[in-house]
Amino acid sequence: MSEHATTGNEIVPVDARAQVPPVAPAFLRLKLWIRRPIEWIRQRWQRHLMYRTVISTLLFTSLALLAAGAFLSNQISSALFSERFNQISKESERGLTQARSILESASTTDRVSTQSLVNSTLATLEGDGATVIRDFVLKPVPVAGDENLYVGPTASGSLTTRVVPEDLAESVQNNSGIFWRSIELGVDSGRQPGIIIGTKVLIPPGREYGLYLVYDLSSVQSTLEFINRAMVFTGLVLLLVVGFISWSVSRTVVRPVADAAYVSERIAAGDLDRRMKVAGKDEVARLGTAFNHMAQSLQEQITALNNLSAMQQRFVSDVSHELRTPLTTVRMAAELIHDARENFDPLTSRSAELMYEQIERFQNLLNDLLEVSRFDAGVAVLDRESTDLNVIVRKVIDIATPVADEYGSIIRFNAPAEGCVAEFDPRRVERIVRNLVLNAVEHGEQNPIDITIGQNDSSVAVTVRDYGIGMSPEASQHVFDRFWRADPARARTTGGSGLGLSISMEDTRLHDGRLETWGKKGVGSVFRLTLPRTAFDSISSSPLPLEPSVTEEIVGLLGDSFPLTGEVPKIGYTPLILDDEDILIEDEISLKPTDPTDGLGESK
Amino acid sequence: MKARILVVDDDEALSEMIGIVLQNDGFDASFCYDGSGALEAFRESNPDLVLLDLMLPGIDGIEVCKQIRAESDVPVVMLTAKSDTADVVRGLESGADDYVPKPFKPAELVARVRARLRPNETHAAETLTVGDVSIDVAGHRVTRADKQVSLTPLEFDLLVTMARKPWQVFSREQLLEAVWGYRHAADTRLVNVHVQRLRSKIEVDPEKPQVIQTIRGVGYKAGTAS
Repeated sequence: MSEHATTGNEIVPVDARAQVPPVAPAFLRLKLWIRRPIEWIRQRWQRHLMYRTVISTLLFTSLALLAAGAFLSNQISSALFSERFNQISKESERGLTQARSILESASTTDRVSTQSLVNSTLATLEGDGATVIRDFVLKPVPVAGDENLYVGPTASGSLTTRVVPEDLAESVQNNSGIFWRSIELGVDSGRQPGIIIGTKVLIPPGREYGLYLVYDLSSVQSTLEFINRAMVFTGLVLLLVVGFISWSVSRTVVRPVADAAYVSERIAAGDLDRRMKVAGKDEVARLGTAFNHMAQSLQEQITALNNLSAMQQRFVSDVSHELRTPLTTVRMAAELIHDARENFDPLTSRSAELMYEQIERFQNLLNDLLEVSRFDAGVAVLDRESTDLNVIVRKVIDIATPVADEYGSIIRFNAPAEGCVAEFDPRRVERIVRNLVLNAVEHGEQNPIDITIGQNDSSVAVTVRDYGIGMSPEASQHVFDRFWRADPARARTTGGSGLGLSISMEDTRLHDGRLETWGKKGVGSVFRLTLPRTAFDSISSSPLPLEPSVTEEIVGLLGDSFPLTGEVPKIGYTPLILDDEDILIEDEISLKPTDPTDGLGESK
Repeated sequence: MKARILVVDDDEALSEMIGIVLQNDGFDASFCYDGSGALEAFRESNPDLVLLDLMLPGIDGIEVCKQIRAESDVPVVMLTAKSDTADVVRGLESGADDYVPKPFKPAELVARVRARLRPNETHAAETLTVGDVSIDVAGHRVTRADKQVSLTPLEFDLLVTMARKPWQVFSREQLLEAVWGYRHAADTRLVNVHVQRLRSKIEVDPEKPQVIQTIRGVGYKAGTAS
């Protein structure tokens, strides 16, 4: 049981912890909730010119309206006030002077008569002939210790003597002029602006009083409020109107621009017939006309160029085709003559041989030209078939071995034993590999040629490495150019057309593959072909390295110490008769591993 | 007796040269220089083999090939200046057995002609069965579900070669050597097209072949995949 209790206790903190997290998401959600509209506005702001125009117009207009409104309101209120004040001050001066003269000239001596005199005088002040409702306040100037007054503090309406501000009372009792102040009337709930004007009067028996007139300015205030309300309303309407105007104006301007942007995008995407709609004769229409004009001349140029290049391609293709039939006849005739050359005199016989060989070369050149013209015309099609790359490479090695024997190179082949099946065009890939291998043999300086096959999930690859003259980085950039030669002075010995590697490149492109090269002068070069395993794969990385890890040495000259696992090559292996010279080669390599090619070149 | 060969080509110089080469190798050549007269020339000379150029004035080579195929199983070898996949495949699909791309060597041409004229070795009475197709080798008859199927000699050879060894997967190269007589690597599209043609004749549903299976990455074999 105790165990159960412990388990229960242990669960509690877990539960408590579990309850905490929901707070954070809620907070986050709130944050997101706030951020989302901001983000939305930000995006619109950045993307739409119209949006930006309308919002900034509204912003500036409302600022201007606010300033104008404030100024107007201020002007109106001060004008209203000063007008009313002038009127009030005139009235009050008259009233106060009149009251003072009546009270000062009074000859009453007793409390009752004085009181009635004061009452009647003050009654004339209240509302008498005044345009503005006014009240009065009579406040005796306090004299220390003397409480004997005929007339006490008096006020009309709901006023009391407290309405008189201290500083005004002080000014009035110390001076003889008329003074005024702005005051607030009424209780907390309904405060109204007002003006209080006061002067000193003498009331029998020669006592000093402050006589004040209080004017209620609430009518002015309400007029002002009405005007303000009207102004706010006008402002809002104005803002709406301005917003609409800026929206419609920016729309008329932005729309053609957006239109132009869309049309240019379409044209850039190849829809050359696309044009802008043009209406009217204004600047926007001019933009449209100019744009259409530009599109028109672009289209004409592009079409002309297309036609020209199509014509050129067709010409090359036609020439190649037309040349084929006579070439076939010439070739057959040459072969017949060549076969019969033993019956000729030596000069004619040699001529027959030369003619035969050169026709062969001519034919190869023609074939390559035709192939290139096919690529240029874009009519080359890929014929994918599930094929084992090992088989293709073996076939190429079979073809290349006699050539390699002639040059004195051996071909070493290293392939995964399990096969290397991928979907590619076997004829094209065979042609690529053949070009690479024959190229390596030609430039291999009698050193071995290493052919390696590799594969990964998405791709298969073959590298062809030679240890020959190698090439500079500039050369490896141009090696796939048509008719390009590393060294123009170098004689062409195998009679290649100079198109082989560029055809290989085109074949590789057709497969969405990669054909790359690495080279170093005096060390050798590597060509790597990488092909996607199927049409739907894309090459992420080649299964084989391009740059060899050991660059300076010929690894395992005789092929029996080949570094990679798999098949140790016997194909194309020319057995060497180990005489003194050959032993010398090995010695030289071990002595001078940094420059094996030179050593070989000399000894052979 | 000399084998008779009809050369259909609009280039007279080439035709004459081909004629010289063929006569040199002991064949009897007759000529036709346009497409519209080809069928008539074919009926007249009744050749053992036709060498047919693809690009001909009048009716083009592919059409001529179809006309000849419609009335005879005589071997047709195309001469083509375009070795584009589409053209070659179109030619083969129209019924040609083989093609020689221009420019060709005389020896190459003669080898192709000889391979097609190769006398059918006298077959012992032998009956092969693949799926629901049975082959009477000596009688040169193929029946599927008791209905006779008409095959050209080449298609027949292709089927017999595979049917004799149903356990073996033939690579395209092996078939090229066994059926077409190529010693060296040649165009494997020949095999692909003729397997398609053969399937269209003997399979119930050529899309789902039961008689001749494709083994991906290797080649073809007769019989069910299992």
